[in-house]
Amino acid sequence: MLLPDVETMTAVLYFGLFAMSFDFISGYTGYLSFGHAVFYGTGAYFVIVAANGKLPLVPHTTPFLLLLVLGGLLATVLALVIGVVSFRLSGVYFAMVTLGVSQVVYVLVRDWGFLASNPRDGPFVVGPEGATAPIFSVGVPFVDPLNLDIGVLTGDSVVLGPLSLGSTEVSFYMVGLVVLVCYFALQRLVHSPFGRVLVAIRENEERARAIGYDTFRYKLAAFAVSGFFAAVAGGLFAGFRRSASPDNAFFFLVTGDALLAAIIGGFGTLAGPLFGRLLDETVREFLSKEGAGGGLLPYLRDTLPESVLTTDIAGLTVQGAIETFLNGHASLYIGLVFVAFVLFVPGGLLGSVRERLGGPIAKQVAARIRGED
Amino acid sequence: MSALLAVLSALPALVADLATLPLVSYVDTLGQFLRPSTLVGVFVRGLSKSAIYVMIASGLTLVFGLMGVLNFAHGSLTMIGAYLGGLVMVLAVTGASGTVSRFAFFLVAVLLVFGALSALGGVIEVGLIRPLYDRPPIYQILLTFGVTLVLDELVRIVTLFYGLQPISEWQAALGTKPEPLTATIRLGSTTVSGLALFEILFGVVTVAAVWAFLTRTRYGLVVRAGSEDSEMTEALGIDVRRVFTTVFALGTGIAGIAGALLMWDPVWGASVPLAAETLLPAFVVVIVGGLGTFRGTVVAALIVGMVDAVTTWWFVNAIEFTGLPEMFIFLILVVTLVVRPQGLFGVAEVGGH
Repeated sequence: MLLPDVETMTAVLYFGLFAMSFDFISGYTGYLSFGHAVFYGTGAYFVIVAANGKLPLVPHTTPFLLLLVLGGLLATVLALVIGVVSFRLSGVYFAMVTLGVSQVVYVLVRDWGFLASNPRDGPFVVGPEGATAPIFSVGVPFVDPLNLDIGVLTGDSVVLGPLSLGSTEVSFYMVGLVVLVCYFALQRLVHSPFGRVLVAIRENEERARAIGYDTFRYKLAAFAVSGFFAAVAGGLFAGFRRSASPDNAFFFLVTGDALLAAIIGGFGTLAGPLFGRLLDETVREFLSKEGAGGGLLPYLRDTLPESVLTTDIAGLTVQGAIETFLNGHASLYIGLVFVAFVLFVPGGLLGSVRERLGGPIAKQVAARIRGED
Repeated sequence: MSALLAVLSALPALVADLATLPLVSYVDTLGQFLRPSTLVGVFVRGLSKSAIYVMIASGLTLVFGLMGVLNFAHGSLTMIGAYLGGLVMVLAVTGASGTVSRFAFFLVAVLLVFGALSALGGVIEVGLIRPLYDRPPIYQILLTFGVTLVLDELVRIVTLFYGLQPISEWQAALGTKPEPLTATIRLGSTTVSGLALFEILFGVVTVAAVWAFLTRTRYGLVVRAGSEDSEMTEALGIDVRRVFTTVFALGTGIAGIAGALLMWDPVWGASVPLAAETLLPAFVVVIVGGLGTFRGTVVAALIVGMVDAVTTWWFVNAIEFTGLPEMFIFLILVVTLVVRPQGLFGVAEVGGH
């Protein structure tokens, strides 16, 4: 009953990647990129607009993975342009200029008829005029014949001996694969000398500059990398959902969701945002009305006796209270959890566990098993 | 080569959508725009928009100037003020209420909203923000962002429970406007709405009140001293913590009053999305003006309001791009930060952020 369903978990994966890319710039260098949704949206829109055959040079049959990379590169260019301007500022001013740029893009996307027939609702994957809508195949040689396409309803189902996976499950593993590769890439960067310089910038930028690092270049490079992976996450989101809208791709509250995931999971830990998003989505699903994997509401409705449900408390029946305060209002509880984390658990889930163990979990557990305490 | 041809053949479709520029008609429209009656109308509308912007931004700038806290919950507090003001009006006004009594009720509503939101602001400052002063300033932004989520969702629950539509404007509150505010008034050869004049009056009174508080009262002196150098002020024997609480309460109170004003405006109106709709322009105004300077905020509000009015006129009469005014507002923010990062009247790196 408590396990979220596969669709939710897929959302955890791609949004978790977005939150990671946000954390890569904000958590590691300390520069709060409040307009990060612009890269996520760029990736998402790039995939759909290309699949609709509207981009020159990019045929609508381009393999999905190539689309992800191209979208990522576009976002990288965008990040370099925004970064050159923004990194002259710091702190609140940096957050505001990135927010401002992303809102300009948001308004542009929301009203530009080229992107979708109804730009306010956003584009869908319909394919170019006269052609059928493309199905996003992986586009890797020798992998394609396995029929591992992604998409909620259009993907493939696979039978592997006793295992039979529906289209959503296949999408889950495919999205998971891309996210895993991206995670390892980011992980590599964080633990490289480059990543160490980023942390140095966060801790004391002047000192980092004094040792001789050109901090501006490092910040710009980190921003570009972060933009690339944010766009990949957006591309995965669009490929899986087959649609995007200005409000769920480009709006500043999308960045807010990433911030939420990063803080709850652990600011400045790479895997943390994934756990933060997992908590976020789980709470949302748990408190949703249908709760495909079961939720609190159907559970209470089924288990509480009729007499309790109709009990009147100050003019409101228990049933009414449940409907009012639980149905679809997960944001309230997530907001409360977030505030509690900011106040009492500044390290977030992962950060606190690491602090308790004295280092990354994998290393500590391995050390304990080997008995080197 | 074929790739190049593909680009060339696809370009017209891409460009045609963006640039169908009928320049001749734009010249005609410019002539129409420069007519005195149009200019006066746009000017008055610009002033009323400036009044709204200064209302939603001055609380924010007070709080930032003194405490260095960029309050993300400011928009939500404005939204709550709109709903509270609407509640008072809807309860008090009946069909028989005349113009004078409606204005009187509005005054009562403004006072009640100010009291209620100041109290709420005080609680937020003491309970949530105070424990974070010794942390990096980023945590205060994060905290107020969380407060926004909670407040918005609470209001959404309450409005849904009472059967109000949380997404669109609260019609019952819109309907409590006194007669003169719904009428149009002739002003020379052009007409302006009564509401616009009322908003201008309201904005001027608020600016005058805040300015008088800052420069003519002892407490205002303390606040300005605290903004300049809070350590030195502390050393002079002033309890800066208590000043923080007072100013935060004052700032949220002004946010609430702004909401009460917006509740009557059909463009804004009491609704849950009002929180985000007011927060972003408020940020633009305080940053363009220079974070924490009240004078800068007033000037920036004038600039943003005028640009808003002019671009709105161009959108209505010539350019079919719905987002035109909104886009220009954010462009002002970006251009200001690029050209003069500290804002028009700001000093570089206020409070070390």
